[in-house]
Amino acid sequence: MIKSIDEYLRQLKKELAGSDPAVIQDAVSDAEEHLRTALTQAQKANPNVSEADAIPSIIDRYGSAQEVAAAYRQMEQRLPPGLGKPASSARRSLVARFFGVFADPKAWGALLYMILALGTGIIYFTWVITGLSVSLGLIVLIVGLPLLILFLLSVRVIGFVEGRLVEALLGVRMPRRQRATDKSIGWWQRIKNLFRERNTWTILVYSITQLPLGIVYFTVFVALISISLYFIATPVTMLAFHAPPYIIVGDTEYTAVNWAIPLFVIGGALLLTAAMHLAKLVARAHGGLAKFMLVSK
Amino acid sequence: MPDEIESEDKKFQKELISGISALVLLSVLNDAASEPMYGYQIAKLIQPQEDIPWLKQGALYPVLRSLESSNLLQSWVEPSVSGPPRRYYQITDSGRKTLERWKKMWSQMTTFVDAVMKGESYDQEH
Repeated sequence: MIKSIDEYLRQLKKELAGSDPAVIQDAVSDAEEHLRTALTQAQKANPNVSEADAIPSIIDRYGSAQEVAAAYRQMEQRLPPGLGKPASSARRSLVARFFGVFADPKAWGALLYMILALGTGIIYFTWVITGLSVSLGLIVLIVGLPLLILFLLSVRVIGFVEGRLVEALLGVRMPRRQRATDKSIGWWQRIKNLFRERNTWTILVYSITQLPLGIVYFTVFVALISISLYFIATPVTMLAFHAPPYIIVGDTEYTAVNWAIPLFVIGGALLLTAAMHLAKLVARAHGGLAKFMLVSK
Repeated sequence: MPDEIESEDKKFQKELISGISALVLLSVLNDAASEPMYGYQIAKLIQPQEDIPWLKQGALYPVLRSLESSNLLQSWVEPSVSGPPRRYYQITDSGRKTLERWKKMWSQMTTFVDAVMKGESYDQEH
């Protein structure tokens, strides 16, 4: 017989083991919200009732951990994360699959994320470095500690917001609910948990690494896209500027001969398509990283 | 034998409920003068009498969530004075339109099923 909400939540987690960690986090926060509200109502109606006495009937109405886990699992099967089902690519030819990337919303989402990553990287990095140095610098004075706690709480929010962005653009399932705080444990314990949980520190590290990663993503993709667009546009630029494409290496100027112009266009198109595929590939890797660093275990 | 009958009943019940739970939740949120409500409130409001089979309260949340991801509901979190922060749900315009269509389908379906079942009993009398 389950005697406390925490025990139930632990059981629910166990029942959902193997499911997506983001689903587990959502299910636990839904259950926690409901059970705590129900317990508060029960105790309001009858102040003498203890948690252990009230819980069995509340859980009986809410459903056993097994039943609730089954309901979440069933929903998750019907509900594709983020941008929806992957396009079925099984029976199309290699060429169609290569160029089909332009019709794939995942590739566009990934590309957008790569461009945005520089901006978010700068914001996260600045916030985390400022927060860390200000609160650690003031830790010898008494104000340092509350500042550090507030800062770590804000890091959790960064983790949630970045998770939403990752799910929307990269299509990786991330938590859709902020983690509920356990009201039954005291302030002191909650602060200790904040420092003790792996999640707090992994989000911190993620926020810092997002800047170098963002710089690399942004540079690589902006360069690839502009080079390929330049190549594709060579016939137009030749007409406009009366000059074929050229590059300068050292003191020598290399000019493209006229018959090579179609090759430039074809090469540009191939490069652009390859860049889209690369964006998808990097998106998958980054999605994995985000899941590992941002979702609590 | 009774075990078998019970499991068949359970299966029928489960399939029936999973088909209509979304309809019931949408109508509740529509009827409540479009006031936003939180999960526990909704669960309390549609707690049926003892003998009617209905979803466990915990199974309502995944349904609410799938309605939200189809944009039929919207939700946000508000802190509460007593207890944990609550997630409030409200029906959207597209939710209201969908509900109208579903209501029509439901009444067509019940009329049809009633007619079929009445037909059967009519035949047996003769």
